[in-house]
Amino acid sequence: MSTDDTSDAREQLLSLANQFYEQFDDGTVPSMEVPTRTKTNIEYNEESDVWVYGDRTSTRSAKSIRGAQKLLKATYAIDFLTRQLEEDRSSTLRELYYLSESWDLDEAQFSSQDESNQLIEDLEIVSGVTREDFHMRPEESGATVMGPLKIREQTRRGEREIHCQKDVGEGGYQIPNNPDTIDFLDHDADFVLAVETGGMRDRLVENGFDEEYNALVVHLKGQPARATRRLTKRLHDELDLPVMVFTDGDPWSYRIYGSVTYGSIKSAHLSEYLATPEAEYVGIRPEDIVEYDLPTDPLSDSDVNALESELEDPRFQTEFWEEQIKLQLDIEKKSEQQSLAARGLDFVTDTYLPERLTEMGVL
Amino acid sequence: MTSYQSQLGSGDGIAEELAEGQRAISIAEFFEKNKHMLGFDSGARGLVTAVKEAVDNSLDACEEAAILPDIYVELQDEGDYYRLIVEDNGPGITKEQIPKIFGKLLYGSRFHKREQARGQQGIGISAAVLYSQLTSGKPAKVTSRTQEREDAQYFEVIVDTDENEPEISVEETTTWERPHGTRIELEMEANMRARQQLHDYITHTAVVNPHARIELQEPKAEFKYERATDTLPDETEEIRPHPHGVELGTLIKMGEETDSYSISGFVQEEFTRVGQKTANSIIDSFRDRYFGREMAWRLPQQHEDATVTDVVTDAVVNKGQDATADFAAGITKRLENGDRVAHHQVVEAAEEVGDEVQTAYGTTFGSTVRENAVEAAWDAITAERESDIYTLVDDATTKRKDDAVIQAVTERLAAKFAQGSHHRVTGGDLREYVDRAADMTEERDDGTFGDTARENIVDALWETAKQVPDDPPKIHDVAADRDSASELLDAMRAVDIISPPTGCLAPITEELVEKGLGKEYNADFFAAATRDASVHGGDPFIVEAGIAYGGDIEHEGSAEVLRFANRVPLVYQRGACATTDVVKNINWRNYGLDQPGGSGVPNGPAVIMVHIASTNVPFTSESKDAVANVPEMEDEIELAIREAARELKSFLNKRRSMRQRREKQNKLATILPEMAEKLSSVTDKKELEIDNTMARIMNDVLVTREREGETVRLVVENNDDSNAELEVTDIVDAEPTAVNGANVVKMDDEWFIKWNPTVGASDESVLEYTLTDDANCDIAVDGIEDEKLTVDA
Repeated sequence: MSTDDTSDAREQLLSLANQFYEQFDDGTVPSMEVPTRTKTNIEYNEESDVWVYGDRTSTRSAKSIRGAQKLLKATYAIDFLTRQLEEDRSSTLRELYYLSESWDLDEAQFSSQDESNQLIEDLEIVSGVTREDFHMRPEESGATVMGPLKIREQTRRGEREIHCQKDVGEGGYQIPNNPDTIDFLDHDADFVLAVETGGMRDRLVENGFDEEYNALVVHLKGQPARATRRLTKRLHDELDLPVMVFTDGDPWSYRIYGSVTYGSIKSAHLSEYLATPEAEYVGIRPEDIVEYDLPTDPLSDSDVNALESELEDPRFQTEFWEEQIKLQLDIEKKSEQQSLAARGLDFVTDTYLPERLTEMGVL
Repeated sequence: MTSYQSQLGSGDGIAEELAEGQRAISIAEFFEKNKHMLGFDSGARGLVTAVKEAVDNSLDACEEAAILPDIYVELQDEGDYYRLIVEDNGPGITKEQIPKIFGKLLYGSRFHKREQARGQQGIGISAAVLYSQLTSGKPAKVTSRTQEREDAQYFEVIVDTDENEPEISVEETTTWERPHGTRIELEMEANMRARQQLHDYITHTAVVNPHARIELQEPKAEFKYERATDTLPDETEEIRPHPHGVELGTLIKMGEETDSYSISGFVQEEFTRVGQKTANSIIDSFRDRYFGREMAWRLPQQHEDATVTDVVTDAVVNKGQDATADFAAGITKRLENGDRVAHHQVVEAAEEVGDEVQTAYGTTFGSTVRENAVEAAWDAITAERESDIYTLVDDATTKRKDDAVIQAVTERLAAKFAQGSHHRVTGGDLREYVDRAADMTEERDDGTFGDTARENIVDALWETAKQVPDDPPKIHDVAADRDSASELLDAMRAVDIISPPTGCLAPITEELVEKGLGKEYNADFFAAATRDASVHGGDPFIVEAGIAYGGDIEHEGSAEVLRFANRVPLVYQRGACATTDVVKNINWRNYGLDQPGGSGVPNGPAVIMVHIASTNVPFTSESKDAVANVPEMEDEIELAIREAARELKSFLNKRRSMRQRREKQNKLATILPEMAEKLSSVTDKKELEIDNTMARIMNDVLVTREREGETVRLVVENNDDSNAELEVTDIVDAEPTAVNGANVVKMDDEWFIKWNPTVGASDESVLEYTLTDDANCDIAVDGIEDEKLTVDA
């Protein structure tokens, strides 16, 4: 799916523009078909073990004013992106949104950043080129890696060789927007531990968990950015490391696990490029709440709705998840990762993780 | 009065005293007291009413003479008073008639006619003359020239208010430039405060009289209302009154004056829609009321003690055994034909059988014998009255009624039919019998008889009673007796009679309603509806409605409601009029108009007009400003308005969708060219032509031309979701061939090739013909809105 070649990305965009041109030239109504991006239109791909879009599509057609505006904006965006690629520049999604303000035609301007983001997703899907190859960046990545791994990164300022434990501070190595510019040189790691919250990541680093257990601690920073997911997948695929996901014990965190493992609904077209189907869930599990008698918060109504919706989410249709989610609905409680501190600051590194990871066959 | 009454016994002179104060009221005094009823209650209104009366007269006169009216109205401000001049091109008035028409109240040709006309009572114009003479002291100046005469007649006339007779002050022969017509000049105390109403009156008159040309000259302004059609309204014919539409006084008067002898002749001659059959029904119905019916009873059965045969046999003496037996058996046989027998039937049977037997046996069966036989038979037949009545009462009342109660009522009822009498009763008698019997039973026997039960019993008895064969009285006798006349009126009303003919009405017609509105209102849309004729109280009427919408009509405030009766605008008393009530009660939101609160006159640029044509429009008062709330008429008004409003609705819907369409088109017309331009620059290709894409997006009908050698193909592509019916004309400068049934007309070296294709939704049709390839073509497409058409040919 990925195209390293910028000229290829440009070609792809131009061919979409050509398609619109031909449609006008034939006197037909310009249109563009994209998969419907909803929960009901993702299906499991047996071959790649990830969730991808199904057969249902939506048509963006100039027949309606809305559709015509979308296509107009797409045309303007194509114009902008092809020039950006030609000049080997890059920009952020937010910059694209603000840039549209400078377009002389009011109808071509984006009314919100959601709209410009969605348009870029449309273009990715239709052209089969990732936005990284359009040289479009998200605003902030900031996700980090800490652990026994040596890499070489191609930066605009030349190559850099970095050891993700020795050459970095306590903050760790910052994952670049396009992780495909990284080469893995050497490593001493036994597994990858992807951690949701910054507090827990800092606790693990402070307690020296990465050194003690040869772990690559990847900070997910909430719902992980594409770059984080891409790097995680490459660590698994290229270095053959098991990926363990450690999050809070609530429905929103299960979705974080889901997007690492199976891909997200919005980027299902990139699942094969971003998702790590082999990733496993460490916790916090609802059973942990019971077993360790963790401090809890009650489930809110939206939590309950989210859990119920997950029961119907094709990505959570496994015995493990059904059991856990039903248990949580039953006890009506949720816990954060840091609630483990109720048993002492070292409990997570000395007891919880070693026990759980041993149980899961990683240690 | 009581004070006089108390003194009545005490002395004389009261009546004389009263008599001194009693004298004839002069017409002037009457007018002075009642001028509001006639529309002359103020100087402002008096002027409008005078114009109205004069113009109405002129229009009526022209129409009767089948002349397209040309009416000139002038108002001159003379300081203290106004001078009103109304001129028409009517047939003119003969010398003898002029003074009476203008100088005598209640003189006219129409009051006794059943025909649609503007004026009716003959009050209008003479009231205006009277008003003028009372306020200014000046006579009316009338000039009239009839078609045959070279010269014109000039009169100055006033109303002699003591005698109600015209008084002529000047009479001379004069000349007039009009070939025929009438001119009246009145001076009166007046003002122009009601100028708006005056204009409304004239404008609205122009709307409902599209065949008339009207000119209004005011002191400082001039208005002209041209005619929109040269077709005169259909001539109306006078009709006789309908039996359902007369009142007692009229009926008595007609009965007194008729040349007919019998009731049958009278109703057939003097009324519309009455033939022999209807006349018979009326007479039967009258007989029931006038004579009543005769109660009928069951014959005694074989097993009972005294059969008719037995008693008749006993009653006949000395007539021979065989003859007597035949006589008795004959009577029985005749009576057995029916279920029940009334007295007159027994008499009839005795007469007929008596004659037969008399002939057969040569024995005289004289009147005494026959009477004895009838008496004996009637006694036998009426012997079991109670059981007969019991059966009827039992059937007529509910099953829950106690048997003892029914028995009690039966006994009391039976007692009303005395032994030996003929038992002739009217409906009223029966009701009285039943009421009395029921009341007594309620009082004495603790039963209950509600109104329904009583009515059912009356009905059952009445149905059982037989109509009598008596000859009805002559019409003059009926007319001479108020009760009989009232019975005849009831009888006429009780009979079903088809509606009166409508030839006496001249509706404006839908087409001319629209034209009339169109000439006075510059609107975007017109609709009209003319209902079929209906009847109220024996007078036929037709309701018409028209709606004008949009254009230059005032957008602010509520719609204008124009009311008309027999082509006369109703300007005053809007709130008291049935028409306004109906307009207010319609839910105009259903028809796309704004109606705050969901009732009342709708808002927006609309004119709603209603015209009622009838031989007798029911007005609320003599000034004829408002139509009374007659349910039959209100229903028709509503239906007419709704019919027109439905058209308005579809127009508004269409206009709305056209507007949305235009908005979409405008929007796309900015977006798509920009997109095309951008695409050309991104792809580095030539500029794009996007008309066809636009046509497809807008669901347009797209007509494109393909020429291939000598073959010309016109492709009509309908991108809409409904059928398109088009008229496609290709104009070429060489002779086309192989046109496949298209219509070809040659004109000035050009050929017009015409097709009328109907193209289904999302379908296309190809119009093909052959033409030399160097010929020029020019296409025209009709039958579809411009917004929905794209021609690329």
